Amino acid sequence: MGSMSRRDFLITSSMAGGAVALTRILPNAWLGTAYAGTTGFFESEFGINDQLCKKALEKALSKGGDFADIYFEHTISNWVSLEDGKVDRAYGDIDLGVGIRTVKGDQTGYGFTQDLTEESILAAAATAATIADSSPSSVTKQFVKLKTENYYPIDKLPSEISLSTKLPLIKKVNEQCFALSDLVIKVNASLHDQQKRIMIATSDGTKAEDLIPRNYLAASVVAEKDGRQERAGWNFGGRRDFSFYTPKVADKLADEVIKRAVILFDAEQPPAGEMPVVLGPGVTGILLHEAIGHGMEADFNRKGISTYATMIGKKVAEPFVNIVDEGITPHQLGSVNVDDEGTPGQKTMLVENGILTSYLHDRISSKFYKVKPTGNGRRESYQHYPIPRMRNTYMLAGEAKPEDVIKSVKKGIYVEDVSNGQVKIGEGDFAFYVSQGKMIEEGKITKPIKDINIMGNGPKMLQNVTMVANDLKLNQGGTGACGKDGQRMPVSFGLPTCLVKSMTVGGVQKQGA
Amino acid sequence: MSKEMINLCEFVLKTAKEAGADDCGVGISKSRFVEVQYREHKPETVKEATTQGIGIDIYVNSRYSSQSSSDLRKDALKSFVYNVVETAKLLEEDPYRSLPDPKYFEGRKDIDLQILDPEYKKITPELRHSMAKELEESCLEAGGEKAISVTSQVYDSFNEETILSSNGFKGETKSTTCFAYAEMTAQDEGDRRPNGYHYAVNRALNKLPSCKEIGKQTAARTMKLMGGKKLKTETFPIIIENRNVGRILNGFVSAMRGFALQQKRSFLLDKKGEKLGSDVFTLIDDPFIIGGLGSRLYDGDGFATKKRSMVEKGVLKEFYIDWYRSRKLEVEPTTGGTSNLVIPPGKRSVAEIMKDLGRGILINGFLGGNSNSNTGDFSIGITGILFENGEPTQAVAEMNMADNHMEFWKKLAEAANDPWTNSSWRMPSLVFNDVVVAGV
Repeated sequence: MGSMSRRDFLITSSMAGGAVALTRILPNAWLGTAYAGTTGFFESEFGINDQLCKKALEKALSKGGDFADIYFEHTISNWVSLEDGKVDRAYGDIDLGVGIRTVKGDQTGYGFTQDLTEESILAAAATAATIADSSPSSVTKQFVKLKTENYYPIDKLPSEISLSTKLPLIKKVNEQCFALSDLVIKVNASLHDQQKRIMIATSDGTKAEDLIPRNYLAASVVAEKDGRQERAGWNFGGRRDFSFYTPKVADKLADEVIKRAVILFDAEQPPAGEMPVVLGPGVTGILLHEAIGHGMEADFNRKGISTYATMIGKKVAEPFVNIVDEGITPHQLGSVNVDDEGTPGQKTMLVENGILTSYLHDRISSKFYKVKPTGNGRRESYQHYPIPRMRNTYMLAGEAKPEDVIKSVKKGIYVEDVSNGQVKIGEGDFAFYVSQGKMIEEGKITKPIKDINIMGNGPKMLQNVTMVANDLKLNQGGTGACGKDGQRMPVSFGLPTCLVKSMTVGGVQKQGA
Repeated sequence: MSKEMINLCEFVLKTAKEAGADDCGVGISKSRFVEVQYREHKPETVKEATTQGIGIDIYVNSRYSSQSSSDLRKDALKSFVYNVVETAKLLEEDPYRSLPDPKYFEGRKDIDLQILDPEYKKITPELRHSMAKELEESCLEAGGEKAISVTSQVYDSFNEETILSSNGFKGETKSTTCFAYAEMTAQDEGDRRPNGYHYAVNRALNKLPSCKEIGKQTAARTMKLMGGKKLKTETFPIIIENRNVGRILNGFVSAMRGFALQQKRSFLLDKKGEKLGSDVFTLIDDPFIIGGLGSRLYDGDGFATKKRSMVEKGVLKEFYIDWYRSRKLEVEPTTGGTSNLVIPPGKRSVAEIMKDLGRGILINGFLGGNSNSNTGDFSIGITGILFENGEPTQAVAEMNMADNHMEFWKKLAEAANDPWTNSSWRMPSLVFNDVVVAGV
């Protein structure tokens, strides 16, 4: 249904209570076909040819409009899970459908159907057409196939990987977790995989197809000490071939999750108030996602909603700050060979040498701003029309050494792991939840901290980035999901160690108390 | 349509048996929705579609698998069911998995919850457009020169589900949902552009407040965010506005669930019967509220629903335990999740309470934040209004509150008289004493 709150949120782990919607899945009728090619799937399996696409697009533009597109999707998702020592549950989902969009200026008509017959497709196209009310617009005579790089090649379709291959891997995570610490009392481990096939045809002649994998191996443990329980979770994944998931990765996952759980027995909530915050490398890139990424999505700027609406070309940060959003890093969760409206995956500089450079565009906003689309037109599924969304968002490495960044802080917080964040686009105020970190005292990392919300204001925070280290790290997880206008999208993020000279830390006591 | 759905469910049950399943549960749902959004006096988006889905739970040799699909063609369903059964056979045994004991299906109430709008079919495209237009215009008018952008949305859906199980459960539900929403962005000082929103949800379109009223409220709420500033860290009495209470309460309710208890992820382990909150903290799960957004006659396991006191005058009385977790925990099941959740409203309005408190913060929004279900610690960003001498004096932004659920609900001093009915969690505004709100 329509979004109750259109605020934006990002979830990176299962820490977020109830907020992670796990897709339920498994093989089904169409699985038997195991069509291996990256193109030609919809024609081969469902008889969708250029003629039908053209007919649908003509219907969508039968009352006029600037352009129309048709988006086919077939997604198979699987989730196998271990609880109390046994891999005893498997979930699966198969989704198939087609969405048709008619665009007139900044207006969108949208219809979709799960029935891939000509009759249903034309009925959905007729729904889309209702946004316009003039004479028909023209449709290309011939589609040109878009050639793109493949940033996530796979050797084998996830649906071809048997359950018996997955089971030992999940069991290994469980065994290793128990082997690593006597404090462990519960382990949940699971393997998720998804293969999504899409095909897009546009009224102005682009035709693109893609096969998009997404997968992750996740673990969550509860440890107990002196009657007290603590929990931590971690995962490895992205857009990967199954060969990534080796026993070594299972061991590494167990190491990470145990390390994160056990330290919590010594951790406390830190004092509340404003203080310097050093963000460690990697998953902490959620800071950029909230502080600047959303505010740079062009729909918010086109409508004048974003705090960044009048800042293009202005200095927003020190010259050593460079921020990127891109879809081209191999196997990253936010990578896209082609976006969901037919624009190839690419790299976009949001901030270059401290200057705000470009918004993140879809086709509607690029026309409005008279620039080329940046490949950010993404949608959750055929049930949604595309809107500007982030891909992999991160800050480029600077020149400082990470240890010098920490040394520069007299009293502050070092952030190691975050679970979720949210931003108010118009004010630029954002928050992210620190599940793990350390205190910094007299330039040294000291006692562990946990469970605090850190708040800031996007433009102010950018100005307050005073040191950037040379250790950029991208998140290696497969669970990052960003919510906007009721659509959840896989994204990734990253950060080198950097210092923000002041943010609000939400602890429990008064500062100095 | 229902007859067709029942036939399909029966076909799936029969096929599952043929494929070797011991037991099977199947649910089919269909939904038709229309969404119209307005901006700058014209439709920004128009979206309409019908969706359908089937979910199947298979039990074979104490093994379990659950899968779903959007393809309801009989031939596709047949191979789908065979696949689910074969998948289940490859898993390890789970002796706790079974369809629920049918005794819990008994006693289902035979009442009309009025969750289906009998007038639904009379909603026309013209009506939706005129509502969205009125909503936008009312908000623009009330927002005046400060309004940079206003978007309105009107949504309605008709939903039906049929659920059958091989041990005799049968459930059919038809419902409607109608929703009107507006958001406004205003120009504040510098580059700040506060964004406020308001909405109403009801089972019936004619029971929604007028679009004019929703639009006016949207503008009023946005204007209250203007000039938001961070204050010094201080211990205040706070009032959490009705619509936002659920965000905090969720941290408590999550720890009441069977999964959290059985997997030892709950700060409420072994706390049943203990006093964890003040006398004001009473939590009732009431599935029988007429027209309620969470009203239902059976739950996710098919259990006949009951009204339950979950927390009574601060004492934890019940957990949310579904059939499967009850077997693992070796306790009686209750119900797997919330229906309509109610904290009984008090007698005074928020304005009266503010006058009485003198100085404090009225929290009108949360930002980010999370709650640790193992320890009960939570930390969350807030926006709100500082009130002094009982009157609003300053909008508050970029501040944070942190506490622990085991202490926080003891600070609950009063419930206001304003239950929020646009959600299945029908919370009144709540007053808490002595909460640290962190800022500068």
